[in-house]
Amino acid sequence: MDYTNQIREIAARLFSENKIDVFVGYRMTGFDENQVPVLIRDPKEVPRLVFNDKSVFNLTNYLKHEHTRGKRVGLVVKGCDSRSLQLLLTESQVKRDRLYVVGIACEGVVDDAGQKYQNCQECVFPDAVVFDEMLGTPKGNGQYQVNADIRELASKDLVERRAYFEEVFENCIRCNACRHSCPMCYCAKCCIDQESSTLYNGANTTSAAFHALMTWSLHLAGRCVDCRNCEKACPSHLPLHLLHKWNEQVIYENFQEHLAGVHEGDRGAFYKYSLQDPDDFIM
Amino acid sequence: MEAAVNNQLVSIEKPEIVAPPDWQPVIIGILCNWCSYAGSDLTGTSRIQYPPNIRIIRVPCSSRVDPWFLIKSLQTTADGVLVSGCHPGDCHYISGNYYARRRFLVTKKLLHFTGFHENRIQFSWVSAAEGPKFAKVVAKVTEDIKKLGPLHLYKKENFEK
Repeated sequence: MDYTNQIREIAARLFSENKIDVFVGYRMTGFDENQVPVLIRDPKEVPRLVFNDKSVFNLTNYLKHEHTRGKRVGLVVKGCDSRSLQLLLTESQVKRDRLYVVGIACEGVVDDAGQKYQNCQECVFPDAVVFDEMLGTPKGNGQYQVNADIRELASKDLVERRAYFEEVFENCIRCNACRHSCPMCYCAKCCIDQESSTLYNGANTTSAAFHALMTWSLHLAGRCVDCRNCEKACPSHLPLHLLHKWNEQVIYENFQEHLAGVHEGDRGAFYKYSLQDPDDFIM
Repeated sequence: MEAAVNNQLVSIEKPEIVAPPDWQPVIIGILCNWCSYAGSDLTGTSRIQYPPNIRIIRVPCSSRVDPWFLIKSLQTTADGVLVSGCHPGDCHYISGNYYARRRFLVTKKLLHFTGFHENRIQFSWVSAAEGPKFAKVVAKVTEDIKKLGPLHLYKKENFEK
């Protein structure tokens, strides 16, 4: 999967036709094989753009960036990124007519060791769902399967799970990189930063980390698209996907909801209800 | 299932925590204004006895209950939480409890997944006419949580010195 040349051509064409002000893509870091996002505002810089298996980050996160707000933006999205873009459009965070979306029929991205990421191995929607132009051959939807880590952890007993998660929350340093890297976290003032909530004062405690991560994952329940920007950003390498994948699985199994961001206008499981929802856990 | 080691009541999540002999659970009850709160009022005016372990908070509707409330309750003093609202179809705001029902299920499952016993968080539908049912619900929740022992997970005071 290497669309570097096509993306450079598209970006150059969009700038020459004066269709965009900013192009959001990937560039090489300059010191290793990895890539970082780049905002191209000058057509002369277009040759810096690249796209291949190492283009791991979700660029829709940059739609809340100061240099893209209110501008006409060109954007590269893979399958998972396009779902978060679909949700941002549904939640009225970005305007579709200001975007030019280059969709990718994604074949999965790889980590430093050359291994495909877990979410790419399990990917259900590899093709972009929102696009103006598609690169690659669409493969169609995959079959939803329960995450392997979830299956393993759910089979353990209560005390083991408690011990496992206590360690996870202990290792959190409350840097909030997960929140900042999440494309679905766009609130100008986050509830977990509220000064009135005394639980967060003193910040760096297991208790506060538990509260912050649980609140965060519940705000993303039914909206998380499993791009794993949070995990890639986490300096402590916390398994944050466990919380999101668990919520996704509960919602998928109990409410028969589609995965987040697949359909236009679908705001997620918590914005609607069905009379047939499970009721057996309520006295 | 009772969490006991050598005839001493221990916390089910952390068996190394032993409950003091006179330990009584603290339960936060979050009740909707229109049904369950009126139901609990009826329990009182009908002179029906129920365990005094429950501390009641009144909210406008069960969909007012943010999962945050449950997390914060469990993190501060509570050993368990009871959330109660109108029966499905009876909501004063037409559909509030349907939205709440989805949120409760996800919250309960997530807390259970991260290591809380599922009986720590309980839900019930109690209408304004069901005074005896409210007493039964509180008795059952108290009974359940007495078996689980004290909750010592992510407590705020354990970390703030």
